Amino acid sequence: METAINHIKHYITKQVNIAPLAVFRMAFGFLMLGSVLRFIAKGWVYSMYIKPKVFFPFYGFEWVKPIDAEAMYAIFIALAIVSLCIALGFFYRLATIIFFVLFTYVELIDKTNYLNHYYFISIMSFIMMFLPANKAFALDTYFKKNIAVTHIPNYFVLLVKAQVFVVYFFAGVAKLNYDWLFEAQPLKIWLPANSEMPIIGDLLTQEWVAYFFSWFGCIYDLAIPFFLFIPRFVRPAYFFVIVFHLATSMLFNIGMFPYIMIALTTIFFREQFHIKIIDTLKAVFKVKNNSEILLEYKPSITYKKAITYVFVLHFAIQLVLPFRYLLYPGELFWTEQGFRFSWRVMLIEKAGTAFFYIKDKTTGKEIEVNNREYLTQMQEKMMATQPDMLINYAHFLKHEFELKGMKDVDVVAESYVTLNGSPSQLMVDKTTVLSSLENNYSNKSWILPFKQNH
Amino acid sequence: MNAKKINIIVIFLLIITLFSACNKKKKGEEDEPEVQFDKTGMLTNYADNVFIPNFQYAKNGLDSFALAYNDFTQTKTEANLIIARQKFIIAYTRFQYISAFELGPSETELIRLVFNTYPCDSVQIKNNISAGVYDLSTPANIAAHGFPAIDYLLYGKNISDASLVALFDTDVNATNRTVYVTNCVTEMQTKLNAVIAGWNGGYKNTFTNSTGSDIGSSLGLLVNQLNYEVDLLKNGKLGIPLGKKTLGTPLPEKCEAYYANNVSIKLAQACLNNIENMYLGRSRNGSDGLGLDDYLDALKAQYVSGTLNDAIKNQFAIAKTKLALVNEPLSNEVINNAAVVDAAYLEIQKLLVLLKTDMPSVMGIIITYQDGDGD
Repeated sequence: METAINHIKHYITKQVNIAPLAVFRMAFGFLMLGSVLRFIAKGWVYSMYIKPKVFFPFYGFEWVKPIDAEAMYAIFIALAIVSLCIALGFFYRLATIIFFVLFTYVELIDKTNYLNHYYFISIMSFIMMFLPANKAFALDTYFKKNIAVTHIPNYFVLLVKAQVFVVYFFAGVAKLNYDWLFEAQPLKIWLPANSEMPIIGDLLTQEWVAYFFSWFGCIYDLAIPFFLFIPRFVRPAYFFVIVFHLATSMLFNIGMFPYIMIALTTIFFREQFHIKIIDTLKAVFKVKNNSEILLEYKPSITYKKAITYVFVLHFAIQLVLPFRYLLYPGELFWTEQGFRFSWRVMLIEKAGTAFFYIKDKTTGKEIEVNNREYLTQMQEKMMATQPDMLINYAHFLKHEFELKGMKDVDVVAESYVTLNGSPSQLMVDKTTVLSSLENNYSNKSWILPFKQNH
Repeated sequence: MNAKKINIIVIFLLIITLFSACNKKKKGEEDEPEVQFDKTGMLTNYADNVFIPNFQYAKNGLDSFALAYNDFTQTKTEANLIIARQKFIIAYTRFQYISAFELGPSETELIRLVFNTYPCDSVQIKNNISAGVYDLSTPANIAAHGFPAIDYLLYGKNISDASLVALFDTDVNATNRTVYVTNCVTEMQTKLNAVIAGWNGGYKNTFTNSTGSDIGSSLGLLVNQLNYEVDLLKNGKLGIPLGKKTLGTPLPEKCEAYYANNVSIKLAQACLNNIENMYLGRSRNGSDGLGLDDYLDALKAQYVSGTLNDAIKNQFAIAKTKLALVNEPLSNEVINNAAVVDAAYLEIQKLLVLLKTDMPSVMGIIITYQDGDGD
């Protein structure tokens, strides 16, 4: 027993080469730089953060608001700059803090745009604030030679690995549900949508292919984090990482995420791999090789204590959050209570149409709202299918019509929603006064129950 | 055993597990062999048999109205006015058969906006006529051209046919008024010709070759426009006149073809027919080619106890029946017979839900350019 604990202790605290962390830093920085520039180039700063008249804040973060157009663009340009700083290891600590704050701020503005991928980036940048990733092959060490080291305690690398583990593993756990495994939903819907693809197009319309992808995806997500941790299996595991992510990149519009995962999972490779990369880069950029002497980085006791508290808490939250849905009754995919921040990726095909009505309390007469007047197409779709967003929108409408001079109104709605190919059915009907409800942690009992209808 | 060997075995085992996992599933179910749906064939049918012939049909209607109106300008008699009006109604009805096709060249030419922004702005039209100088393409004139403007000028309100002819003949602004209608017709003819030229030029190929399912694909555009049109039918043609945006207070003056005042329902029916044609991939001569209905069937889309396609077709039938029960003029019915109009309105809303929620969802149509992770 004691030896086991000693083994673990040794594994966590042993000094390892810093190269994997330096390569990780560069990969993260350059990928973020590319992602941010791509985001700006696609016009998404405008369409997501400037154009909308309404924003859907996260519960508890209603105070997070977008700023004006120039400021939003400035934020994205700042994100690009600090991404580059992270890549180059230039004012690294400050750059990671700015990146984390700005990126998370942007993500908190509107939950319409929530993606697990963005959540992952937020968390990763949070972890990076604490890493000594600028202590080798970085501009920081170029200007301040005395901070350079060759070795760091293993736990810094393990933090990154553990987070990647959490993402994969919970994504796998989330796939252990009836629809995914035994109905092959939503892949049965999404794969045939790609039937025009050359060579494999025909195959994608076959039902067994949807089952194959579902099972493959599930086993992959559950198994890959374990195999990545075992040095001798890293290479075959990485082969699957590439196959899996390239396949998802080809079939679904999930942007940069597959490439981010392909690049970042290299952290699991042996140090020699990373040392070779850095040596190659040094040769290319003609940087003198001065890492002959072994220099170990030994963080202060206070710093060690601080990161212990921070990350024990962080990973405790990470392990609990995906299971909070158990506290709510009803079909998770339907009510989405406890759905977000749980690595539930590619799990549901959901669409809806919501009709909102402003009801004069005294006369009982109604005005039907034209959602398009207030919402973007994406917001309209997301709002129609997510109960907490129905409430947000109802509050907005109440306020909006009060400004128009209508006092004493109720906002009610009918939202018809389809989930994984089910017939569309009411998620909320007009008996629920949405404008008098508040979002909170208690169960939304007004959500009409989901009927499979098959 | 060395590491390399173990690696190979691990990969091998993984693949075996995966294949066996799905093979088991396959044996359990007796699926009929999947039929690969011919998306290109469907899009070609839409282009060749639905879109282009309907544009031609609308163009012929517009051209023959232009001729009849020209006759009227030559000989300003009540008889010629009546003929011109008849041709106008035909042209307006035929427009309903292209209104939903706002993609490619139609989108570029802003056909819906130019042809049919109603109610028209009669004050703006009068000002333009008395000024004699105007640019119909400016935003200020959005509600001062197209069919609604002509509707206003050829019919007027509470005015005898004789007095109306006089407005074109002896009125102080008679010449300007006569030219104004001509300008409106010419603007529409130019735009429609450009649309037809666009389809016969490169756009047909662009359209039939874009076989994806994302927002910019032909399928995405088709479904989006189909839904937009149902929405216009529900809200523009029926809902707003019914008072759906005004606490139940009817707004008869917001009816389509308010001045002709006896064709609003006829136009709505044409619109609904066209939406059905668009859904079915049905041509002008009634032959039903490959369409969204066939695609749904190929995807084996279910709805409660039957197929989604049957549910949608059934809902079309119900909506058509309810709409046929509404009498002309609609401007009168929304006040005196609102329940009947409301019944049609509700059935069209049900149709909208099926076409906007169920259909795109099972087709896996992506409504956004944004990245997604499926939640």
